[in-house]
Amino acid sequence: MASEIEKGSRYIPEMSKSEIEELGNSIKTSSIKVMEQNIEKMKKTWPNRPEAMEYFDEISNFFGRREKEIREQKEAGKKLIGYSCMFAPIEFILAADAIPVRVGSGWYDAAKLGDRIMPVEVCPVIRSTVGAKMVSLSPYLELSDAIISPLTCDGRTKLSEILSDFKPIWYMTPPRVKDDPQSLSLWKEEMQVIKGKIEELTGNKITKDNLRSSIEKMQQATKAFRRLQDLRKGPPVITGRDAMLVNQTSLWDNIERWTQKTNELCDELEKRVEQKDYACPPDTSRVMVTGTPMLWPDSWKVPNLIEESNPKGLLVVDEQCSGDRILYDPVGVDEWTMSDMFDAVSERYLMASTCPCFTSEQGNEDRVNWIMNRIKEYKVDGVIYYVVRGCILYAMEYARIKRILDQMGIPVYYLDTEYTREDVGQMKTRIEAFLEMLEARIDI
Amino acid sequence: MLETIAEILLTTIAVGLVTAGILAILVWVRNLTRKLSALRLFIQIVAVAVIFLGLIIGPFGVAEWSYLGSAPKDIAIGKNIMGRPYPDGLSVPTFACYYASGRTSTCVVWQLQSYIFPYWETSSTYLTTGLERLGIAFGLLVVMSLIFGRFFCGWICPFGLYMDLLTRLRKTLKIRYWSLSEKANQALRQSRYLIIAAFLILSAILGMRAIAGVELIPEAELGRYLEMPFCQVCPAKPLFVLAEGALGYMNLDYALSKTIGDFALTGWYLTSINIIILGVVTVGSFKVRRLWCRICPLGGLIALFSRFGPFKKLSLIKLTKVEEKCTKCGICKRVCPPQVTEVYDKKGGDVTASDCILCFRCVEMCPYEDCLSVEVAGKKIYKSKNWLKEEEE
Repeated sequence: MASEIEKGSRYIPEMSKSEIEELGNSIKTSSIKVMEQNIEKMKKTWPNRPEAMEYFDEISNFFGRREKEIREQKEAGKKLIGYSCMFAPIEFILAADAIPVRVGSGWYDAAKLGDRIMPVEVCPVIRSTVGAKMVSLSPYLELSDAIISPLTCDGRTKLSEILSDFKPIWYMTPPRVKDDPQSLSLWKEEMQVIKGKIEELTGNKITKDNLRSSIEKMQQATKAFRRLQDLRKGPPVITGRDAMLVNQTSLWDNIERWTQKTNELCDELEKRVEQKDYACPPDTSRVMVTGTPMLWPDSWKVPNLIEESNPKGLLVVDEQCSGDRILYDPVGVDEWTMSDMFDAVSERYLMASTCPCFTSEQGNEDRVNWIMNRIKEYKVDGVIYYVVRGCILYAMEYARIKRILDQMGIPVYYLDTEYTREDVGQMKTRIEAFLEMLEARIDI
Repeated sequence: MLETIAEILLTTIAVGLVTAGILAILVWVRNLTRKLSALRLFIQIVAVAVIFLGLIIGPFGVAEWSYLGSAPKDIAIGKNIMGRPYPDGLSVPTFACYYASGRTSTCVVWQLQSYIFPYWETSSTYLTTGLERLGIAFGLLVVMSLIFGRFFCGWICPFGLYMDLLTRLRKTLKIRYWSLSEKANQALRQSRYLIIAAFLILSAILGMRAIAGVELIPEAELGRYLEMPFCQVCPAKPLFVLAEGALGYMNLDYALSKTIGDFALTGWYLTSINIIILGVVTVGSFKVRRLWCRICPLGGLIALFSRFGPFKKLSLIKLTKVEEKCTKCGICKRVCPPQVTEVYDKKGGDVTASDCILCFRCVEMCPYEDCLSVEVAGKKIYKSKNWLKEEEE
């Protein structure tokens, strides 16, 4: 029997302490460097960056202020609950007075480390998270008391198995068909289980009052986020990378503080709209990215290239679970009773999601419609379909999206890449060619 | 002369008060997701006041045969329609219950059943023939259904208001609601038509002596209760009669117990059954939102005409959806009082359903801008908004 033969962790081979430390430190150093570089690049493309962005620069550092805060709060008795995917009910975590944090990893170096165990066919987001776990790189992953793992794609399914050697993993199985009559009831059962587990871990009961206040907190965050997105619909007052950074910090920041800071940023940007103080010339081609999540810091590769290439592009909107999908949909509560709030939260995470893991007779139409709507609302000139190798769900939906975008007359470019810095030159050529084409189209 | 001025003054004050009330509600309710619901509640209350105007403007304590006197409905609407007296008041497709004395108009279900008895045509009450009366009632029903659809159910119907108030009470008590399964809902909706068929057939059987000269049930016409078989089990009847009785305007004996001849006992039993039905519906609609609307035969009649094939184009009020803006988040389905699923299921365009009571709660709660909208005569008058934003005005 496997359990008799197996020693140590089930997937990750044993490494000596010194090796872990050495590798960990070197990756940490390079990661800090990458984060600094990214922020510098962002400042360079937008010299007149608003002051409010400084806060997000600070909080974006994985090994800085937020880590310290979380450590302090953990010492004070709070629990940190990680989640690997946007299906986890953040409202419940907040209601039980725990700290929610997303634990996906965007480190390229860690992905290389993950290659030791995982075959290259596996999605690099997973490999990178495994690699980060091998050397205890991610402070959020290390500090979390439990991890909610929605089994959305194959990568995440096995990732949770690998991580289960180290942390309590709470599985959630989203139904792959949203519209079936039984889907929602199955999902609600999953939610009920997770709710119970959160209550058990934190020792705090999720009550009408604290759930309501956490729903309202998240609604406020959505409100601030939508305010920022509405600004991006107009002339370019913020670069795409800055908006992405703001978005992604919400994954680990204190949500109330984040809301306040985002509102401050929006105040500043609104003034700039009046002064016509733009982040780039208003005729810059407007690009939308969709596909695999682009996680801070290393996956800034492609956005950096888009906004720094010649001719420049401007990322106006994305359709990714690392961006727009985090906060766009509010929880809509009809009656503030426990059951209705619970239903509302459950529905928001299942029904409003446009993840490609869903399938249906209409063929996951929600995502297609959503992309079409975004293109119209944000006046998108071209779409970059970003897929990292191994992200098959997004890769497979490309054919359909391309057909539709072709019919709409919107150019789409399939950008397949890896968690590596080696293809930057090649990427640059490809992105520049696409942006040149967009610019030529606009001129006509 | 003075009287005319006084009347004009009164009307102006009334209209002014109503407008002020609407404005006050709109200003007071700052939350975007509650604005329309508050307005709807207000309009429902105004509608109930208009329907039971007799309770406000008198004369109170109307005689048994109220249509002979200067009943409130005669004052409000006038006695003559097309040059003939029409003492029951116009038929509106809501539960404007006949048995309550202060009403200005009458529930169309009562009229349909009642006018099947053409023997009334020679009485001192009506100068129109039974067929004419039936024609007016049915014609009005069809026309109003075609144009307004079930707008009546959501915004006018007094019994709807009663159920909404029960829901509000439940909300304040923070008690959860029950949702019926799709199957149960469908069964209820289909059973409406059985009820319609049953009461029409029963009316015809009871009125057979007048229709065909054969008396199928001896002395049937004497039992006042059985003339309108549906009304005797309708939960609205005891509600309004009891409400009026409680207000002191009505002698309960008249509406709830008086029968003639052999049917005296039957009347008592029927009244008891009726009150039990009201109790069941009350408890039911306390837990299930708009429970009665799902089985209401009147709603069924409106639904039949309002969304019927080519006549769909005639309907004035429509609910439309922009497919692209919808993420199928399911909020519209969850907040719907009668649990209509069409708004969620249908792809886009006209999503009005025959079971939709047009309360527009879904439009109010939809968090995506311009995704759902209310169209009146092709013009969008109300759209879904990002309700996280409070109104700036």
